[in-house]
Amino acid sequence: MEKIRNIALFTNEQFKAKELCICYPRAWGAEGVEAALASLSASAVDAITQGFNILIITDRKLDAGHVPIPALLATAAVHEHLVKAGLRTSAGLVVETGSAREVHHFALLAGYGAEAIHPYLALETLAQLSKSVPQIKAEETEYRFIKAICKGLNKVMSKMGISTYQSYCGAQIFEAVGLQSEFVDKYFTGTPTGVEGIGIFEVAEEAVRLHQAAFGADPVLANSLDVGGEYAYRIRGEEHMWTPDSIAKLQHATRANSAGTYKEYAHLINEQTRALKTFRGLFEFNTAGCTPVPIEEVESAKDIVKRFATGAMSLGSISTEAHATLAVAMNRIGGKSNTGEGGEDHLRYRDEMRGKTIGEGESLASRLGGKRVVANFPLQKGDSLRSKIKQVASGRFGVTGEYLASADQIQIKMAQGAKPGEGGQLPGGKVSEYIGQLRYSVPGVGLISPPPHHDIYSIEDLAQLIHDLKNANAQADISVKLVSEVGVGTVAAGVAKAKADHVTISGHDGGTGASPVSSIKHAGTPWELGLAETQQTLVLNKLRGRITVQVDGQMKTGRDVVIGALLGADEFGFATAPLVVEGCIMMRKCHLNTCPVGVATQDPVLREKFSGKPEHVVNYFFFVAEEVREYMAKFGFRTFNELIGRADLLDTKKGIAHWKAKGLDFSRVFYQPNMPAEVSRYRVESQEHGLEAALDHELIDAAQSVLKDVHSAKTAKVEAKITNRNRSVGAMLSHALVKVADPNRGKEERIHVALSGIAGQSFGAFLARGITFSLTGSANDYTGKGLSGGRIIVKPDPACPAVAEENIIVGNTVLYGATEGQAFFRGVAGERFAVRNSGATAVVEGNGDHGCEYMTGGTVVVLGHTGRNFAAGMSGGKAFVYDPGKRFKDHCNMSMVSLAPLQSEAEQNAAAEKRVLHAGQNDEAHLKSLIEAHLAHTGSSVAKRILDNWASERANFVVVFPLEYQRALSEQWTALHNTQAVSA
Amino acid sequence: MGKITGFMELARVDESYAPPVERKKHYKEFVLTLKDAEAKQQGARCMDCGIPFCHNGCPVNNIIPDWNDLVYKGNFQEALEVLHSTNNFPEFTGRICPAPCESACTLGINNLPVGIKSIEHFIIDKGWENGWVTPQIPAHKTGKKIAVVGSGPAGLATAQQLARAGHSVTVFEKNSRIGGLLRYGIPDFKMEKWLIDRRIEQMQAEGVTFKTGVMVATLPAGSTVGNDSQESITPAELSAQFDAVVLAGGAEQPRDLPVPGRELAGVHFAMQFLPTQNKVNAGDQVAGQIMATGKHVVVIGGGDTGSDCVGTSNRHGAAGVAQFELLPQPPETENKPLVWPYWPIKLRTSSSHEEGCDRDWSITTKRFEGSNGKVEKLIGARVTWNNGKMEEVPNSEFEMKADLVLLAMGFVSPVQSILDAFGVDKDARQNAKATTDNYHTNVAKVFAAGDMRRGQSLVVWAIREGRQCARAVDEFLMGNSNLPR
Repeated sequence: MEKIRNIALFTNEQFKAKELCICYPRAWGAEGVEAALASLSASAVDAITQGFNILIITDRKLDAGHVPIPALLATAAVHEHLVKAGLRTSAGLVVETGSAREVHHFALLAGYGAEAIHPYLALETLAQLSKSVPQIKAEETEYRFIKAICKGLNKVMSKMGISTYQSYCGAQIFEAVGLQSEFVDKYFTGTPTGVEGIGIFEVAEEAVRLHQAAFGADPVLANSLDVGGEYAYRIRGEEHMWTPDSIAKLQHATRANSAGTYKEYAHLINEQTRALKTFRGLFEFNTAGCTPVPIEEVESAKDIVKRFATGAMSLGSISTEAHATLAVAMNRIGGKSNTGEGGEDHLRYRDEMRGKTIGEGESLASRLGGKRVVANFPLQKGDSLRSKIKQVASGRFGVTGEYLASADQIQIKMAQGAKPGEGGQLPGGKVSEYIGQLRYSVPGVGLISPPPHHDIYSIEDLAQLIHDLKNANAQADISVKLVSEVGVGTVAAGVAKAKADHVTISGHDGGTGASPVSSIKHAGTPWELGLAETQQTLVLNKLRGRITVQVDGQMKTGRDVVIGALLGADEFGFATAPLVVEGCIMMRKCHLNTCPVGVATQDPVLREKFSGKPEHVVNYFFFVAEEVREYMAKFGFRTFNELIGRADLLDTKKGIAHWKAKGLDFSRVFYQPNMPAEVSRYRVESQEHGLEAALDHELIDAAQSVLKDVHSAKTAKVEAKITNRNRSVGAMLSHALVKVADPNRGKEERIHVALSGIAGQSFGAFLARGITFSLTGSANDYTGKGLSGGRIIVKPDPACPAVAEENIIVGNTVLYGATEGQAFFRGVAGERFAVRNSGATAVVEGNGDHGCEYMTGGTVVVLGHTGRNFAAGMSGGKAFVYDPGKRFKDHCNMSMVSLAPLQSEAEQNAAAEKRVLHAGQNDEAHLKSLIEAHLAHTGSSVAKRILDNWASERANFVVVFPLEYQRALSEQWTALHNTQAVSA
Repeated sequence: MGKITGFMELARVDESYAPPVERKKHYKEFVLTLKDAEAKQQGARCMDCGIPFCHNGCPVNNIIPDWNDLVYKGNFQEALEVLHSTNNFPEFTGRICPAPCESACTLGINNLPVGIKSIEHFIIDKGWENGWVTPQIPAHKTGKKIAVVGSGPAGLATAQQLARAGHSVTVFEKNSRIGGLLRYGIPDFKMEKWLIDRRIEQMQAEGVTFKTGVMVATLPAGSTVGNDSQESITPAELSAQFDAVVLAGGAEQPRDLPVPGRELAGVHFAMQFLPTQNKVNAGDQVAGQIMATGKHVVVIGGGDTGSDCVGTSNRHGAAGVAQFELLPQPPETENKPLVWPYWPIKLRTSSSHEEGCDRDWSITTKRFEGSNGKVEKLIGARVTWNNGKMEEVPNSEFEMKADLVLLAMGFVSPVQSILDAFGVDKDARQNAKATTDNYHTNVAKVFAAGDMRRGQSLVVWAIREGRQCARAVDEFLMGNSNLPR
């Protein structure tokens, strides 16, 4: 900072810095803030006109007599003022503040104009703390803090789709919740704010109170900081919805099936007049015009619970036992459980798909195998372990054709309430051998889903994915999960037009096992806002009747459900509450794998302590439904549908005493669009998906001999023409096959489809094992998406004069999320080839940028040039790149992989470090066999030339070998070796 | 924070006790404080829960995870500071609190809970040993005068907090020594009394004035409540001299057993028996001390006071000690899924029981019999309990040899005459009526806290009430308060 202050000395007066103090006399009180800001803004203009070009906004000079204006307010005020004065680009803003300490603070300061930030108090605190930790030097703590903040900012920027700090700086991509619009317009111009709230004087009052706490005589604060309680419950700190008592009452109520105890729980949650915790806590019901009906006449709880679903908590984030308990419970009540993004063991659904249900005397262990279950529980006749909702997230872990075929609903997770813009994050410690197997990944390697779906960059792409999934399972509803934020209504309307059957609006306070604190605390908005906007937009556009609207995010009681319904939801997602019912006690240790009640851990020792029972979860949902019925009776509604969209029955609670609650205005939330009565306010019809036009119907007809008699050795050969209007070809055929045949059994090729022409998008999507698609022509984007064991061959028309290896034959994002199967492309592929491949084998003759990105398994052979950034985020599988020009190294992202020449069998055996072989073969034999197969399938002249000159050409291959995968293979070798030694 | 996997690797270490034969010979404490390494190990077992149920289970809301971690890291002085931020007298609770925190410990769901109480005990002993506990003398005096009536844990906590806020506090105690039930009700072998004296010195340095042997108002004739007073002061006088009065006189009225023979000599309230031994230990001359030496003692009442009577009788050298409880025998272990994190009703065996005692449950006392006006036997009968209703088992009457009967059946209410003298409204249970929001009774500037307001309870609840009441008084006098609740 000294350098910046005196930058003129170092730059020959090219740069001149001027300090702007943001502290003002304590005696002015909160009322003084406006004047202080006005003078601050004026002095900023003065400084620039005097020739200063670096303005240092500083609160360094605060003392007992001087209160600092909150640094964010001061920065934004100066920024906006300079923008309006047309001077902003004439100076840089440096913010020197003691208040910045968390990622979010830095993000806000940057977003409102800070070009540089000096968090002096954080750094000085670290320097002091480091004295008590002799093993770490003060400079090291400073370095680590700055690195952590920068990584956090990277994450924040990446989820907003911004690459550089320069672009983020002043971008103002924030939404205010609870700020008065007049205040926002003046100091945070352009930031959306939906429900009004506090203004400048309340903000200043808070600053004055903080100052008072700092310089006052509070004995508790004499030598220590405020307990805070933000991240872990403290009685003197932040209020939380989940308290020791609310958790205890909920657990006791559901375990003992005690309606009375549930009422105590519901009261603790619903009663928020003293401790304001949610928007809905500020609402009350406006029953003035209602004629109550006897509760006996109200729709039964048995029907209401069918509207309930549990949240998308993956197996991996939570234990097998916890996950299966939710599934069993939801299936018992006719609701739905959600796989989350970790795939699902086929033992939980395959038999059911074949009509074999669970019988008497079975248990979780008898179904999944004793080794897989440590806290077993009995199952009832007719139970089901199948999650009816199968999630498809950006990581596409375990998304196979069979997985999709087993769904009642397929949910595309665009975002998650607790961490919008980010994918799931499973720490390495929780990726056990079983979890790795289900996710087609390497045990012990953390799994971080990428922020975007690589096949969705536009609403049209989303429509395509919806179409792909609908083809993969025509019976399943396709759901799109969105996050509450300003503008979500427009997105939801787009989703409805993109033919989704279902949309979820997820609130900001949804739970999450492991995600950055900045996301948990500061991303997304309350579902009350997003749901209201969604309902209003859908009704206005006459789309509401075509789509089911679900809401989730800390749904806890019947009152929450009723408010969700009044604001427009048909269905409701619950996650944390049912987990609490299963035994979760909000340890907030999900990321450490040390959950002491066996819920959010994969450690068998801890899982053994899991004590949840499906009955408890069933009890919970019936309690909630009964509470809903009581409200319905008061409103005089006999059916649930009558509740939906009746926001006129909500009002702002009167007499809220909190000093900061005064300015809130929920009229925009309670607004109902003025549309004719015949425009539906809830789901009444189905989407028109246009599946009847699919080419697959033709293929299925032609393959009937195989489909009707899968256990025979029959095969089918089909020929067909294809055009680019034929999208998602193969998904429906694969569905038909996996419904009857186990994908991992039987003959290699049972249905051979020879096609000619130009294939549309998602050619061969989710293609099942046993099916070969051999296309003469070319294919578009997303070829082989989610490939599930099938074989795809694409080769150019022999009549085409172009040189195959120099021309694109398949589009972008090929083999995205492939789990198994083979692909041979006689030509070059586009960008992001084999992104998130987790098991397929592919041979291609060149590819665009970002090849093999985030790959966790499988083998890729590139017989030509690759684009830039090859192997970024690659943690498993292997790639062989033909690189006679020795240029590949410059195109490869080396952060997670090593490069080596191809080794012969003898060399590989002699290697110092012992590893299990990739794909069970030594590299040279493996590679050669793949090139031979490529030649056989495509007649590639490139393959032929290489094979003909193998002795010399073999030296032109580079082996791309992820470091994490090397480690895992070594560990497997050691494990195997040790077992053998013991048994010998 | 803490050792992440500590709870999976380390065992609970309990404080060790001197063997019963040894400890029965004296009235000294026999619980051995943890050693540094043991305390650190115990602290390492804390899981630093996202929701620390212990913190809520503890009536003073001790910030347990924070000091557990500090102890684990060996930062004992800071641990003491955190502990003192919620609890004025950890050396009392660290010894005699039944530790509802441990019943609420998350680790206790399926394992042995963290030894929270032993850590508290360790921290405060460490603090005194190292001279870290010093008077916190207020920088400014407010000039306000406050009278605290009663010097039990509630009164002491109120007084200390108010003195630290700069008020001039005078504590009135009718007995000759400060401490109330801490001093007279709790046997020395559970808590030695120099611990109280040490705190009194700190409080005196902080500006608290103690007046012992002063009765505020008067006791009714024939009261068995202990009273050494030589002088008295009336409510009117107090109100005239002080800006606020805090009634913290406890719930001293013992529950009686009105059965035939109750009037026989040898049938006494526990609070006629226990205090005298403490006085003797302190060197007081006590005329006619009730002794259990060589006697067949029957203690009626299965609670902590009963247990203290057992321990004291054994130290006297009783011929035999029996303890009867009206309620049925509780289960050995509670039904945890339906009870945790709340206080479980379960069989509790105290150190006094280990020293020798026959316990029996579901026993009602029908009458006492004796000759020459002295009790000789107890006639009891068995009862059964159905849905909270008690029924005597036919033909189950029995005789029990008894030449000392100690009634330890709890306390009914505060002594009414004191509340009446102030004109304080009472609740349905005859406690002083005041809310926990402001502790103010219906009488202007008269507050009530502790057992006098909430009825008989734990020391730790008394400390909580005292602290909260102090804040309420401070707010009342000054308009706002920095005192923590």
